[in-house]
Amino acid sequence: MTKRHTRLFFIGGTLLFAAIFVGLTIDSHRQFGELTNADMITEDVIEGKHVWHRNNCINCHTLFGEGAYYAPDLTKITQQRGAAYLTAFLRDPSQFYSEEVHRRLMPNPNLNDTEIAQVIAFLDWVANVDNQGWPPRPIVVSSGAMAGSYGGDAPTAGTTSDDPVARGEALFRQPALACTACHAIRPGVTLAGPSLAGMAMRAEETVADPSYTGSATDAEGYIRESIVSPSVHLVPGANFSTGPGGISLMPGDYGTRLEDEQISQLVAYLATLR
Amino acid sequence: MRYRTQSISYWYFAIAVCLFGLQMVFGLLAVVKYLGPDPLIDLLPFDRVKAVHTNLLIVWVLTGFMGATYFVVPEESRTEIYSPKLAFWQLGLWVVAGLTAVIGYLFGWTEGNKLLEQPYIVKLAIVVVMLMFLFNILMTIRKAGRWTTTEAVLVAGLGLAALLYLPALISYDNYTISIFYRWWTIHLWVEGVWEMIQAGLLAYLLIRLSGADREVMEKWLYVIVGLVFIAGILGTAHHYYWVGVPRYWLPIGGIFSALEPLALFVMVAYAYTAMRRSGMSHPNSLALHWTIGSAVFTAFGAGLLGLAHTWPAVNKWTHGTMITPMHGHSAFFGAYVMINLAIMTFALPALTEHREGEDQRLGFAAFWLMVGGMFGMTLAFGTAGITQTYLERIMGLGYMETQLKIQVHMLMLTVTGILFTIGVALFIYDFFRKRPTFTVHTDAPAAEEVQPV
Repeated sequence: MTKRHTRLFFIGGTLLFAAIFVGLTIDSHRQFGELTNADMITEDVIEGKHVWHRNNCINCHTLFGEGAYYAPDLTKITQQRGAAYLTAFLRDPSQFYSEEVHRRLMPNPNLNDTEIAQVIAFLDWVANVDNQGWPPRPIVVSSGAMAGSYGGDAPTAGTTSDDPVARGEALFRQPALACTACHAIRPGVTLAGPSLAGMAMRAEETVADPSYTGSATDAEGYIRESIVSPSVHLVPGANFSTGPGGISLMPGDYGTRLEDEQISQLVAYLATLR
Repeated sequence: MRYRTQSISYWYFAIAVCLFGLQMVFGLLAVVKYLGPDPLIDLLPFDRVKAVHTNLLIVWVLTGFMGATYFVVPEESRTEIYSPKLAFWQLGLWVVAGLTAVIGYLFGWTEGNKLLEQPYIVKLAIVVVMLMFLFNILMTIRKAGRWTTTEAVLVAGLGLAALLYLPALISYDNYTISIFYRWWTIHLWVEGVWEMIQAGLLAYLLIRLSGADREVMEKWLYVIVGLVFIAGILGTAHHYYWVGVPRYWLPIGGIFSALEPLALFVMVAYAYTAMRRSGMSHPNSLALHWTIGSAVFTAFGAGLLGLAHTWPAVNKWTHGTMITPMHGHSAFFGAYVMINLAIMTFALPALTEHREGEDQRLGFAAFWLMVGGMFGMTLAFGTAGITQTYLERIMGLGYMETQLKIQVHMLMLTVTGILFTIGVALFIYDFFRKRPTFTVHTDAPAAEEVQPV
């Protein structure tokens, strides 16, 4: 083997693999449209991307797991938190975390409401990109404590069983619905939303309370209402809603995302939390 | 120093080490922000500090590479640099562009694209600087009418680095596509053409330090660079995991990333064999340490620790955790910091009043503090990353709560980072305590016969 041979190896190898790389790049371009829902890239999404860049978000957060590691991954954030919550958060992040407890805060990005809506539109587009199902298990921003908040995988019986409670629990833990990203089932653990420990009892008390103005007449009815129309009755708490008379920060679209039967299963499960 | 214009490299090296020191300040600022409430949150939040830290690295490493080229090319081509004046103008513009970017970040002037945060006008200035540089070097080689394989690899690496910066000038509305092309610059730099530069400098240093046979060394240099590209080009695929590209990039990334360390292990064998065959009697034993150390630490940080998380089934869980900076810090240090410090340590006796091998105690202290400090930092990032992967990704504990659980590792990172920084400070002090004297020695030991290619 002489220097001429090894030079040939270098040049030939490089050109060959560069050519394969370019070929695969061309093929990727054929697929980008479908994989990334390119038709959903609206003006707001593009503007939101500019907001994302201008504010250097990537140097604390990750998106698709890429970026810096000082703040949570936001790939699927819009599936875990509704637009109302994210809007309130971006107006003043310091209201949602305690520097004492978490030892870390997000500086106020000083965005106006248009920019906030745009960056949420961008993040929502990101959340729907087909990225081979990553992350394999939801990465949650905050889980309170280990036990009881994220309870591990749903019981396997839940997906095959006919028992509505078991099926409801499986739904509750399903990553795509992301209930556990905001609600703990352990008492006293407050995440983005209130703890659901003792849900059945509190539902009864709420319905019986004269100040309750919703249309539910029993605990099950109230639980169903709180899933489908979370703003009808606002649970007191600084970060659960925009304040008395306002709207809940919980996503309001579960009524359309879930089948009627699924909602009944969720209600059946939640009604067991005493 | 055999050629007067080799002295240009001194000023490039001087600026590079100053920026290296500044990079450490921002690195330490960043790590303490992991430990607790941040009093500077409104003045200098983490994102700005981090952007400055990484950009300073890119700027100073490239400054060192360019300085190294101004030192190596005259010797290899046996001529003076075509235009020293242009070289100084280039350095001036480069420093102005680099500092403008860094100061801009402090005030939030950024394009916010990881590692390519430079505002557009600065990006254009960088392109102009690279063109000035390549023009000067190519004219020098043309004037001499001779070049060696070693310098050809070095210069081709820098030329390709400039070329691969061009995709960074284009922006896309589709975030996935912009990620796709961002890696053409970043990955093909650090796992492609920069490794080519590293290999070229390694060959040069080994030939000079060990007196190994040039024909043999340059023959294997082609093998190394060939392996770098064969694995590295398609190895880009490991950055295409989970970002919205076709699924076939997953197995391609797994296979070619697994091949990437091969070139790095050949590099270690290359350095080891050169030393075994031709001895380690060169008086500049410190330069020898940095040179061999660079090959070994690259194999460890870039090779082994890269391999630790590039298999898709593993990366699915570790992606975007502290595992990534574990690999990033050790790989950059081994491959690009150490090779830069090697060429500086090698060149300095020729550029200053100090003689070869004279009083290297401080230099050795700097060497071991940096190597030891970085090893500790790698362990700190690694243990933090493993804990984070387990708690956050597998058990499902929240991000914020997990961060509290890895505080002890971040404390270890702070301590080892301080050790590393002391090493850097000693290196800088050692660099500047030697007064530059640019005397030309034509009677320097005769270079071995160079075969024109």
